[in-house]
Amino acid sequence: MKWRKWIRILHRDIGYLATGLTVIYAISGVAVNHVDEWNPNYSIERSTIKLDSIPSLEKEAMIKYILNEIGETGKIKNSFRPAPDKLDIFVEGNTISVNYTTKEVSQEKMASRTVIRESNFLHLNAPKKVWTYVADVFAVALAFLAISGLFMIKGKNGITGRGAWMTALGILLPIIFLIIYYY
Amino acid sequence: MRKLIFVLLAVFLIVGVSLAEGKKYGKGVTLKEKTKISDIFANPEEFTGKKVLVEGMIVDVCSKRGCWMEIASDKEFEKIKIKVEDGEIVFPLEEKGKTALVEGTIEKIEMTKEQAIERAKHHAEEVGQKFDPASVTGPEVFYQIRGLGAVIK
Repeated sequence: MKWRKWIRILHRDIGYLATGLTVIYAISGVAVNHVDEWNPNYSIERSTIKLDSIPSLEKEAMIKYILNEIGETGKIKNSFRPAPDKLDIFVEGNTISVNYTTKEVSQEKMASRTVIRESNFLHLNAPKKVWTYVADVFAVALAFLAISGLFMIKGKNGITGRGAWMTALGILLPIIFLIIYYY
Repeated sequence: MRKLIFVLLAVFLIVGVSLAEGKKYGKGVTLKEKTKISDIFANPEEFTGKKVLVEGMIVDVCSKRGCWMEIASDKEFEKIKIKVEDGEIVFPLEEKGKTALVEGTIEKIEMTKEQAIERAKHHAEEVGQKFDPASVTGPEVFYQIRGLGAVIK
């Protein structure tokens, strides 16, 4: 039948077009699904050391002293005193917190998770603007791929045979979880 | 060829100017007059519910969702939290130490002791610090900015 031939052509070509975004959304989907267990955008390494002593110095001299003590050579961006006995130093990729009372120096080293972070940026529609419409078109394309996929083949493996059972199973799965967790 | 060079120069100029102005988040900023953060803390009730434009150094950012950041006040040892809707604005962690112009509405948050413990526990988990419930001694009232837009320079 002619309509089935057209469905196959459209399914094939839209499928090709959707491949890139599908992979991006799949990577980000898994990444943000586990947001309670890991940070999907950054790899963060925290550590604390205790110094034997911290001399009484002016702020700028203190920053140099602390960075020297921990071997940090990155570019200094800024510094902040959150309390009279505390000093935060912002270095490229590292935040250093000094507590004069406990003599503890904590570091929070951060690195962006390449590819995953960019995928999250697009998947969670951070750019907004025109990207919103690109994502809408992609969603419509995915719906088309899902529905057109049902009618691509005929016979015992098509939607009137095995395909009907498989499709019903796929619809039943979220319904079961809704009954368990939602209602 | 000359036209192409002219167009490229114009593009570089526009990009350069926009970068110099800072990166815009959310709706950006529309107010012209800045409010000192110390003035907000000096008289918070007067500012509650009002839209303000504040400026300060970014001293902390939500590392998981980028859904809040804290900016330093003009007064020593003081900072204010900027809370945004999850996903509406995402503040990158790399912006710590930079200067932000933030526009938003001052909110008064009142919490029972239990709520305050839960909030402090959640914050400690986010920043990877130890949490001692005894550090919360009673109900808490604090003020924050419900952020609508920002420009980070």
